[in-house]
Amino acid sequence: MDVKPNFPMQFQQQQLPQLQQQQQQPEPQAASTPSTSAGQPAEAPPKQVALAMDRLAQAARLIADVRIGGDRLLEALFFAAQSQQSNKTLQFLLKEDASMRQHLQDLRTVGRQLEETGVLNDSMKSRGNSWGLHIPLVCPDGAVVAYAWKRQLAGQAGASAVDRTRLALKAFADQKRRFFPHLEDESEDQSTEPDSKKLCRPQAPLTSQLDELGDFKSLADVLARLEKEVPDVKVLTYQRRDWLKRASSLPSSGNENSIESPKEQSFHSLNKMRAGPQSAVASERASVIEISFPCTFRAVVSLHPAASIDPDAVAFFSPDEGGSYMHARGSSIYHVFRQITEHAGIGLQHFLGVGSEIALYFLLNWICSYQTLFTKVCSKCGKLLAADRKSSAILPPVRRSFRQFYPVRESPAEATSSTKDQVFEIPGAYHIGCYTDEL
Amino acid sequence: MPTKWVLHWHPNPGSTVNSQILNEVSQCAEAINGVKDGRWKATLTLLKPNLRDQSQPGEYPRELLGISLPEQPNKYYFILRGPRIVTEADSSIQVIMEKLQSYKSRIALYFEGYQYQLGDFQLRVGKVVSSHSENLRGIVLEVEYLPISSMEKASQVLGEFVDIWQEAVLKRSLPGSFMHNEPNLSEYGLGDNYTPQHTAVQYAYVMAQLFASQSTQAVRN
Repeated sequence: MDVKPNFPMQFQQQQLPQLQQQQQQPEPQAASTPSTSAGQPAEAPPKQVALAMDRLAQAARLIADVRIGGDRLLEALFFAAQSQQSNKTLQFLLKEDASMRQHLQDLRTVGRQLEETGVLNDSMKSRGNSWGLHIPLVCPDGAVVAYAWKRQLAGQAGASAVDRTRLALKAFADQKRRFFPHLEDESEDQSTEPDSKKLCRPQAPLTSQLDELGDFKSLADVLARLEKEVPDVKVLTYQRRDWLKRASSLPSSGNENSIESPKEQSFHSLNKMRAGPQSAVASERASVIEISFPCTFRAVVSLHPAASIDPDAVAFFSPDEGGSYMHARGSSIYHVFRQITEHAGIGLQHFLGVGSEIALYFLLNWICSYQTLFTKVCSKCGKLLAADRKSSAILPPVRRSFRQFYPVRESPAEATSSTKDQVFEIPGAYHIGCYTDEL
Repeated sequence: MPTKWVLHWHPNPGSTVNSQILNEVSQCAEAINGVKDGRWKATLTLLKPNLRDQSQPGEYPRELLGISLPEQPNKYYFILRGPRIVTEADSSIQVIMEKLQSYKSRIALYFEGYQYQLGDFQLRVGKVVSSHSENLRGIVLEVEYLPISSMEKASQVLGEFVDIWQEAVLKRSLPGSFMHNEPNLSEYGLGDNYTPQHTAVQYAYVMAQLFASQSTQAVRN
């Protein structure tokens, strides 16, 4: 192929030797090398674009023909099974077979032509050849962009309508995942069974256990039970305004006044101690529950309406985080806690679906299972850390299973012991990549 | 504050550290999807007592280490390795030391390089250069896990991360490996909650390792 002098030179510096080679060895036949085109004269880019667009349209028509041919063949076979006129159907089948083969052959030819001009693959682009800028580009999502260089010149990365739509769709999907985590995400691989069917399965064995658990009439009941069952947890309740004050006063990890802050904290804890007798009363008006394991995490659960036992949001944070963004609908600055928050949202919806009276009790126990976040290895791959494919962050197992999260079923002999160390089955821990929705 | 492990490059017997190895290590950080984030620099100064009167040499500790860390620009840390003392001072103490002339700087080590973000981890790859010469004395690696500040809770996470790192480095067949010798921090009165003093003590140990390995090199040569 000839090198036109008016093309931008910078792309051709390294390619000159290669192009010179091409000039010296003209290869007329349709060889396997995609860089030479079968005996085509050099053409100006607009003409190339037009040709390529034509060929793409041709390919589309041929594909449609192949589809129709396939339908016709099926029809013919059906006919043959039914009628007795074997000769007629035989002729028909032979005719269809021949035309099908012709279509496929034509398609192969067009495909080869397209490949040679660099439309279907980016061999041209990767060689830094400026011709690659002028050939229509078939984007990975199937969109055909006639003038790829126009996108680059415009300087807008997402200039094509396809890209803009994709960005909008992604933004909507993120929002949906955040606020409606129980809805299915169609882009992910999921089993075809709808979520409601999965929820129905655990109902039957659970109703018998619910009677054993007793009633949870009030928030205080739930929390008292929790503190008895999970020895290391620290549970505190607040009204919304008080929580906001506390969150803002927590020392953040980037705080340079790390020496001063312990004093601040002790001042606050003194305040709390003075307000001690109020805490029991406070749970009657509480709408925020803080669950913390001192060196591991801090979880915030919000209740709606206030002082009910109906959780409506949950979020996880680092024990060192502080700031007014720390609330049940907030987001941690760390990847690990953001992932857990997202997963916990789905877990919350699951527990609400299991039973509204016990949802909070189950949820809080499930949250407590995260106390082994940095020590328990993944139940599937056996390692502690794994890279998340989407964000390439290296994370511990952030997903704990919740579908099989029930109280432990005891045999009648064990039921006589009044203190049970382990009330719930310990859920499996999984990395994002190791987790499947059936767990 | 985030927990951190400081590792140092231990060359195989008979080989030395060079800038080629440093390049390979930096590429390793990028190969595991680390995003280069900026530069960092720490300085460790070995101070010796300025004894005018040579008759009483035994009273003073023979060496005092002074460390400045990039994440605490207003602070300066002193370490006495013998009695296991680490203390934090305002960075203006260096001016006072200059004026007092009681301890003079014998040698300074500069740790500098690039830092990389990897999700909740932060990696710092740095070369070690001394004030006496331009030669590369060693390579240091800081691995930091940002979300938690408990040494005990983070130890498994950091350990596995270092394993992943070692695997990546092993693929490049370099003449040496990174080592993490956990200094006995409790002897310095340091607790489970990570502080800059923990970093200072780890650097003191790294310095000791560097000098030890280099003296064995000298003996061998």
